[in-house]
Amino acid sequence: MTFSTKRVNAIFIKDWKDLQRNSYILFTAAIPLFFAAWLGRIGADSAILASYPVNLALVIAGAFIQAAMVAEEKEKNTLRGLLLSPANTLEILVGKSALSAVMTIVIITGSILLSGYHVPSLPVFAVSILLGLIIYLAIGTILGLLSRTVMESSIIGMPVLVVFGMASMVKTTIENEVLVKVIDYLPSEQLNHIWVRLGEGEGLSAVSGNMAVLLLWAAASFFATMLIYRKNSMDYS
Amino acid sequence: MENVIEVKHLVKSFENKTALKRVDFNVKKGETIGFLGPSGSGKTTIIKILTAQLHPTSGEVKVFNEPIHKLKTPAYMKKIGILTDNSGLYERLSIYDNLALYGDLYEVKKSRINEVLEAVNLLDEKKQIVQKLSKGMKQRVTLARAILHKPDLLFLDEPTSALDPVNTKYIHEGLKKLNEEGTTIFLTTHDMQEAEVLCDRVAFLHDGEIRLLDTPQSLRAREKNISISLVLKGDRTVVVKKDEEGAKAIYDSIQTGQLLTIHSNEPTLGDIFVRLTGRNL
Repeated sequence: MTFSTKRVNAIFIKDWKDLQRNSYILFTAAIPLFFAAWLGRIGADSAILASYPVNLALVIAGAFIQAAMVAEEKEKNTLRGLLLSPANTLEILVGKSALSAVMTIVIITGSILLSGYHVPSLPVFAVSILLGLIIYLAIGTILGLLSRTVMESSIIGMPVLVVFGMASMVKTTIENEVLVKVIDYLPSEQLNHIWVRLGEGEGLSAVSGNMAVLLLWAAASFFATMLIYRKNSMDYS
Repeated sequence: MENVIEVKHLVKSFENKTALKRVDFNVKKGETIGFLGPSGSGKTTIIKILTAQLHPTSGEVKVFNEPIHKLKTPAYMKKIGILTDNSGLYERLSIYDNLALYGDLYEVKKSRINEVLEAVNLLDEKKQIVQKLSKGMKQRVTLARAILHKPDLLFLDEPTSALDPVNTKYIHEGLKKLNEEGTTIFLTTHDMQEAEVLCDRVAFLHDGEIRLLDTPQSLRAREKNISISLVLKGDRTVVVKKDEEGAKAIYDSIQTGQLLTIHSNEPTLGDIFVRLTGRNL
């Protein structure tokens, strides 16, 4: 399979031009920034609390916005045009994810600055963000492919937002041990573990188990995306 | 001349309906072939199969001498152009930006964008946002996108369905020029006049079957009892048969100086279709 960066770039440029006139996406992207600014104002000092805006940025920009962008391509029948062009599956998926990825990184950076979160061990933190980005973009793409419209992606995306974005926040109130165990293995919880450990001055070896879980999530979600994309993007029947 | 498309015993079934029942046809290189039929006759299903969007249930389908299941490749996509009724455009982008995306995907020069915009009569509107265009203008943008990379084989599903007569004529001229340059055209239409103007051969598709496939002239020539109308002085019209008696009537009207005009009442493709299937298009 060939891979053309020119074709990926063409899809990215198109999405960038489109974003500038898309008020729904621009408003949604601002939500984590408002949340981070609010946390910054109240002076959240614990590592977990301070990292919430980063998690929220991953869920909203990585998954929610990605889902809306993919769903809109389906709703407006433009995905078919891409599929019938010389661009292959990987080029379309990377191209469609590129803008969401850039936006997520920008929003995470903004959230860190606004919330006053101190980033511990930048290289390890960056790797954890990269893995988180792959997972949430893949989840967003899957949600978009399973939805017929942007509205539908918002509706089916809501439980995902709650589970992946807020489960860590409500974990302390849950008494069911199985549920707590499940939440422990969610990417958001793994990311929190990593950031707390790093904040306590520990290094990569202390978080390697969490990194391995994230890596598994990333691989599984990537392959699930490819599979669902091939099944849902055309009329094959 | 070599075949660009070869279809043998093609069957396509959906859960509770057979859309195509043993369809057979070939399309030669450089030919313009038209598939005529009412909604639900299977026209769009054929295009979807030929463009690798749908798998056939059974039968053999070859395009450019390759089985269709091998054709979901960038190289094949570069050789074909597609316009369907649900070809979407990016509504928040300008006409030019919509084409620029596809120009980059197909790796064509930027100057080609202006060429195709001129061909569809939209060069002066290229900066307009697609959302604000009329349905006919959107149709022309979609057509421009389909021919942007000068495809060897062009699939058109109802290409002028939303256009006014002036733009329809403009598009027809553009398609004829493209065909003269060597592009093979496969089109579906409800418009018999369009088929007459553009197609070398037409196929009547009804209930998933090809009922007739021939040149428009041959299809009309199959019709017996074609009459002739003589318009005579004094606002009189006389209809005569194509036989000895008719010939005498024509001769007499010329001799007496009564004849103004003479018309052959050949059936239109629409008439033939209705007679054949009992249905209108």
